[in-house]
Amino acid sequence: MLFNITEPTNSLEWVIFLAEKYSNMFIQGTILTLYIAISGTILGFILGYVVGLIQDIRIRKEDNIIKSAVFKLIKAICRIYVEIFRGTPMIVQAMIVYYGLRQSGVELSSVAAGILVTVLNTGAYMAETVRAGINSIDTGQREGALAMGMSPLKTMLFIVLPQAFRNILPEMANTFLTNLKMTSVLNVIAVQELFMAAKTAGANYYKYYEAYLVIAVIYFVLCFVFSRLFSLIEKKMEGKKDYVLAVEYMEAQ
Amino acid sequence: MAENIISIENLSKSFGDHEVLRKIDISVDKGEVICIVGSSGSGKSTLLRCINRLEHQTSGRILYHGKEIRDVQREINKYRAKVGMVFQSFNLFNNMTVLENCMCCTRKVLHLSKKDAFDRAITHLKKVGMAPYINARPAQLSGGQKQRVAIARALCMNPEVLLFDEPTSALDPEMVGEVLEVMKELAETGLTMIIVTHEMAFARDVSTRTIFMDKGYVAEDASPDVLFTAPKNPRTREFLSRYLAG
Repeated sequence: MLFNITEPTNSLEWVIFLAEKYSNMFIQGTILTLYIAISGTILGFILGYVVGLIQDIRIRKEDNIIKSAVFKLIKAICRIYVEIFRGTPMIVQAMIVYYGLRQSGVELSSVAAGILVTVLNTGAYMAETVRAGINSIDTGQREGALAMGMSPLKTMLFIVLPQAFRNILPEMANTFLTNLKMTSVLNVIAVQELFMAAKTAGANYYKYYEAYLVIAVIYFVLCFVFSRLFSLIEKKMEGKKDYVLAVEYMEAQ
Repeated sequence: MAENIISIENLSKSFGDHEVLRKIDISVDKGEVICIVGSSGSGKSTLLRCINRLEHQTSGRILYHGKEIRDVQREINKYRAKVGMVFQSFNLFNNMTVLENCMCCTRKVLHLSKKDAFDRAITHLKKVGMAPYINARPAQLSGGQKQRVAIARALCMNPEVLLFDEPTSALDPEMVGEVLEVMKELAETGLTMIIVTHEMAFARDVSTRTIFMDKGYVAEDASPDVLFTAPKNPRTREFLSRYLAG
């Protein structure tokens, strides 16, 4: 042990004491928090992109009735999903998904339920972000590709999305940081993440203030590190400001 | 008689109650360079966008080699690959370099090999004098340079017809010259071109046929010599009066 405090007297000592005594629990909690946040966010992003792209599908007047009816139905379902998950708190969603699935006979571990809720929640927010990101790209980009015979799907994949992606990258980073912190509500469905660790550690000694200080520091460090990481990525994505002239193609004047 | 490439029959287009194109009939033969002039809002750009299928006409037909392009995405894509378009606002892909811009569509649409696409890109970029800038991004280029790249990009598809939608309207006078120069050289190679423009001197000089549009109608369709010196339609005369006087 680093400090070897056996009989803590003030708050600072209690913080250190609890952190050391329950170090395993806090480490496990941190790992689980990261696991849920990362997997939930990545899968949520994928879901968000799919839903966002579906919402962007344009139904043309010339399309036949069946095709436009099917598209309208799918779009309506996506719309309802987005509205519901943006309009209810994640803590309530966690309870409903977890207990709802149990009651209907689906045995889902609390971690799996936690990831599922995170995915659904992230997907709903990302869908809106992706839609806005796509809308932010000048229609000229789309037309430029279409006018040369590129299919609408390829136009979306190779021209519009890469540009939209750059625009929504900061928002994606934001969503991840939010998720990192929002995993704390999953303690209500008995996920052994950081918040649960603090709750347990604090309860054993009736030292809640100190126990939550420990995880506050852990959450802060995690968020700080990730937010720096994201700024680095954003900088990388901006690319070079200058370019190299291809002198081999210069013509003698 | 020259081979007919595109014929527009009785084409009308309206946005809601607003009629933009009214019963347009134009036939385009191989090798023709057609300039479309007219005041803003006369439907020139909409006509070009209808030809490229970016807009859908309300009624009438557009025939390509005598056949109507059905409303099937695959057919439209194939048709568009043959009918290139150059825009007023360039529409270069901002997420790509000049070279990638020129290789993108030949790779993804025509499925050329990397080497073939590269060779083609360089050939056409050289033609427009932009080959040294292959590593630049659109944002790093001037308007005139962007438009020259856009022309090279369109040429890479080996189009049968190239549509120009006011290609110099977003450029300052100095850059207009460099773009018109490139277009003039293209016209001399025998490429079929349909050009919407406000550059009267250029239209007179380069076109084999000039069309004057007014309020959605084709008001006059004649050789540039006739249209610019002895226009038959009073509206054409009125429109050209400033140019003719000067």
